Amino acid sequence: MAAVKHSQAMHFHARAGEKVRNAALQRTLQKAKPLFVAKRAKGLASLAEDGLDFELLRSTGKNIRNRTLADLDVWLELFEERATASGAEVLWARDGEEVSKLVVDIARRHGVTKVAKSKSMLSEEARLNEALSAAGIQPVETDLGEYIVQLAGEPPSHIIAPAVHKTIGEVEALFAKEHGRPLETRTSADIPEMAKEARAVLRQHFLSAEMGISGANFLIAETGSAALVTNEGNGRMVTTLPKVHVVITGIEKIVPTLEDFATLMRLLPRSATGQSISNYVSLLTGTKQPGDHDGPEKTIFILVDNGRANLLGSDYQDMLRCIRCGACMNHCPVYFSLGGHAYGWVYPGPMGSVLTPLYTGIENALDLPHASTGCNQCGSVCPVDIPLPTLMHRLREEQNERGLRPWSERLSLNVWAWIAGRPALYRWFARRAARYLNWLADGSGRIRIFGLVPEWTAGRDLPVASGKTFHELYAARKRD
Amino acid sequence: MSARDEILGRVRRGVGKDDFAARRAAAEAGLKTPARGPQPVMAADLVARFKVKAEYLASTVDTVAALAEVPAAVAAYLSANGLSRQAVATPDVGGLNLSAAGLQVEARAAVDADKVGISGSFCAIAETGTLLLLSGPETPATVSLLPETHIALVQVARIVATMEDAFALLRAEHGSLPRAVNFISGPSRTGDIEQTIVLGAHGPCRVHLILVGSGAVAP
Repeated sequence: MAAVKHSQAMHFHARAGEKVRNAALQRTLQKAKPLFVAKRAKGLASLAEDGLDFELLRSTGKNIRNRTLADLDVWLELFEERATASGAEVLWARDGEEVSKLVVDIARRHGVTKVAKSKSMLSEEARLNEALSAAGIQPVETDLGEYIVQLAGEPPSHIIAPAVHKTIGEVEALFAKEHGRPLETRTSADIPEMAKEARAVLRQHFLSAEMGISGANFLIAETGSAALVTNEGNGRMVTTLPKVHVVITGIEKIVPTLEDFATLMRLLPRSATGQSISNYVSLLTGTKQPGDHDGPEKTIFILVDNGRANLLGSDYQDMLRCIRCGACMNHCPVYFSLGGHAYGWVYPGPMGSVLTPLYTGIENALDLPHASTGCNQCGSVCPVDIPLPTLMHRLREEQNERGLRPWSERLSLNVWAWIAGRPALYRWFARRAARYLNWLADGSGRIRIFGLVPEWTAGRDLPVASGKTFHELYAARKRD
Repeated sequence: MSARDEILGRVRRGVGKDDFAARRAAAEAGLKTPARGPQPVMAADLVARFKVKAEYLASTVDTVAALAEVPAAVAAYLSANGLSRQAVATPDVGGLNLSAAGLQVEARAAVDADKVGISGSFCAIAETGTLLLLSGPETPATVSLLPETHIALVQVARIVATMEDAFALLRAEHGSLPRAVNFISGPSRTGDIEQTIVLGAHGPCRVHLILVGSGAVAP
């Protein structure tokens, strides 16, 4: 699998340590987290004001996605037929390498020297920018966050806020260098001016690019359209101005009807940014029509598998419902302790901890399914009710079954399972353990250094209970 | 084997069903009778709702009784904001006598140099304060995209409740979709530098809506 050789997911543990020690990153993340959480809460409040129940809406959204996945072969063929009938071309790509190859071929055929790109996580899976550059074609990211990380030579660290890890000072340094001007001291008050500067630079790219590339938030089978949701308007630019428009999207992104799309649009922006609707929502169908003054002469869809079809009918099919809102990472204590780059591949946070092992190989991302506190915040905020912690547990079980965990861990789990299956023995051990921990704490309620698992007390004390087991306390309470 | 056949083969194995023809017929039948999800409950006055929501999204809203009053309203908005009196307009509103109000307006697609774009709208959505614009020879999409200021006319009779109602109108009046259906909800924005919201990312920095009509509620 092409993705594997570029994934850094195996180094999660080491990278996590680096990220925790990076004070500037920690400040940026701690500042961002409450904003993301508050925005979604506001979005949900706006649903309630209109008498809409989030749980009902999310079960409706979940059903739409499940219904599509249950007959995905049918919906893909219907989409292909209708998109073709409307004048677009539909191509298919087995993996990221094939995506890059197709795009480079299309670009060469149309004499393209510059590509303006709207945000596409799938193009990150395909490492498309590298392939374009290698072919002498200039890719320009036009989402402001993507533009910033492209200038920095980094991948995005969040699926909807790619530059969330960057401070204003870092952005200023990148702009000064790229735009050829002296470095200035910037405060938050200067952010509008910096956005204006990027607008002016990127506007020229929109006007001169011969090809636009976008993703699609959804594909609509009924009409053969791509639905594109953006706030900046760059999605509209790259699908309106260049003479060729290429849509790169996963085969799972289909929804049957416009009504289904409308339902999901009540969930997606609210879950992502708290907005009741994003500034621009475009349904793009076919190409420039006779008499039209604008629009691409050629529209090409590339429908990408890259590991998705294998999840159908598997224990992990629920993951294909994902609509890429980012709510799971926005509510994840692990994500906000580390930022997105620690995860090592395209998708960070809980959805990434599930997708990365599934798309790049379970053996190539061993730490990610363990990057969880088990709090289930991700599962509870997911707008299509994906049981993210359960999927991470399944991946852990599979690691264990396939012998991918260290022997000491497997042995302790087996011993624990054997004891836990024998109540009398379990109670006997629990009593001994509780007394032992209490003795170690020496009446203080905390253990400063725990010799059995020293990592647990490396950065903090281990709090311990009273020296009685739960069963003992429960029995005592019942007697009262 | 082609990528298409290989991927569809994998999908078919994952789906694990063999009655393709029957499932396809059922899917196509379902497309003819699209079902709506949960619908919002809103006050009956859709025009008032539209105005509140549009203003919340940082659009400005003016109201005139009839199309004849539009040129003066446009001129008043431009001078109040110190904006250029030169504008590009979509050909469908080119018939308005904007020059009578002292404006120099060209009806065509927009170019980078255009500072003010004037367009109509196919309909508008009260739920979210959103405009719906269709691309077409008379309604080029660039007019609502390239200029810093976008002025849009909204017939109050064409303010519908929800996105689903807008789709119903679109199916009734157009059948198939034009190249681009653009839902526009206020000026373009970004939050990509330190999560600080800035208006005017790549699209317009200002969206001004002129509601035309007496406030009658659409069907």
